[in-house]
Amino acid sequence: MKRRAFILSAAALAAFPAAAAKGQRGLIIHDQPRPVAAIDIRDAESRAAGLDTLKGKPVLLNLWASWCMPCVAELPALDRLKPALDAKGVVLVALSLDRSGKVAVANTFARLGIKNLDIRTDENRVAAEKLDAPALPVTLLIDREGREIARFIGAAEWDGPPAARLLDALAAGNPLTPDMAPPPVRMGAAP
Amino acid sequence: MRRFLLILLMCMAVVPAARAQDDTTVSGRFLLTDMHGRPVTDETYRGKIRLVTFGYTFCPDICPTILNTLSVALEQLGPDRAKVATLFISVDPERDTPAHLKEYLNAFPDITGLTGTPEQVAAAARNFKVRYERQKPDGDDPKVYAVDHTAALFIMDREGNFLARMPHMSAPDRVADRVRSYLAPRKAED
Repeated sequence: MKRRAFILSAAALAAFPAAAAKGQRGLIIHDQPRPVAAIDIRDAESRAAGLDTLKGKPVLLNLWASWCMPCVAELPALDRLKPALDAKGVVLVALSLDRSGKVAVANTFARLGIKNLDIRTDENRVAAEKLDAPALPVTLLIDREGREIARFIGAAEWDGPPAARLLDALAAGNPLTPDMAPPPVRMGAAP
Repeated sequence: MRRFLLILLMCMAVVPAARAQDDTTVSGRFLLTDMHGRPVTDETYRGKIRLVTFGYTFCPDICPTILNTLSVALEQLGPDRAKVATLFISVDPERDTPAHLKEYLNAFPDITGLTGTPEQVAAAARNFKVRYERQKPDGDDPKVYAVDHTAALFIMDREGNFLARMPHMSAPDRVADRVRSYLAPRKAED
């Protein structure tokens, strides 16, 4: 009987893996820094702009796509944040996973009036898989040794005071703590 | 002895039943509307291997990368992609109109969006053993809601019969390999 219950519950789980749909959200601070897989990132002129060109600098790596509405909703905050991050010595990379590459990025940036973000595309369209991102947006916090120390799943208020504390810690190489999590952003209205 | 027989009977009954629930009862039949506004059924795609997934476009906080995975897998298939129909069935027919799906799927040129009446979508989901549930609106706007749904990728044969079910998080090359194995004659087994 136990076996039957087990098989039935296994079948029920397989039929509705709510965990996959709901998943984890918010700031996840890793126990140990993780290596970041090499990805062929290109700039607007199709030149190589991978993370290996940013050695020695902490990086905020945001994965987005034009078809992901919460990602697009988050871009203006990242755009406002960029000059302040530059001043802190943190490099902000907003990496588009769009199939059509820089065309989709340029169109989205123009539509949103993005001024500061640079065009960065995922040349081989492997970033989601290699960076273990089953959903977007996701933002990786990478230390100056090029290791992922935390990630934020979902859109966040990146230009508010809580995020500033998190990013100051990233810039200084100080430990991150859960109270530094920026508030999540949910879509205000269906566009 | 009687007890032994009873247990044996139970095992025989339970195992095939569980398997049946997982596999063979995915009939994959549907009557929906494609993103061009045309009525379609599973018969419409006769002759092609089908990759089928369910979802919706108004993801309020995070969006699965399954369509990205599928489009990368299709690229990896090269010319063989012409032998595959890739179908995205909306579980949010109220917001995912054909016109909206068409615009959204501009980002994924080889993927066809399907929607329908709430009843048609419910019937299609039932036939794929897919569950979905509209959540309560998050704030004041009744149009802002999430739809929890089964996250799976179905592979159906050229007649529309169930071949395999893969998780949403499958790597593109694994999806492409699996499709190739079904395209190659006499290599239908995993």
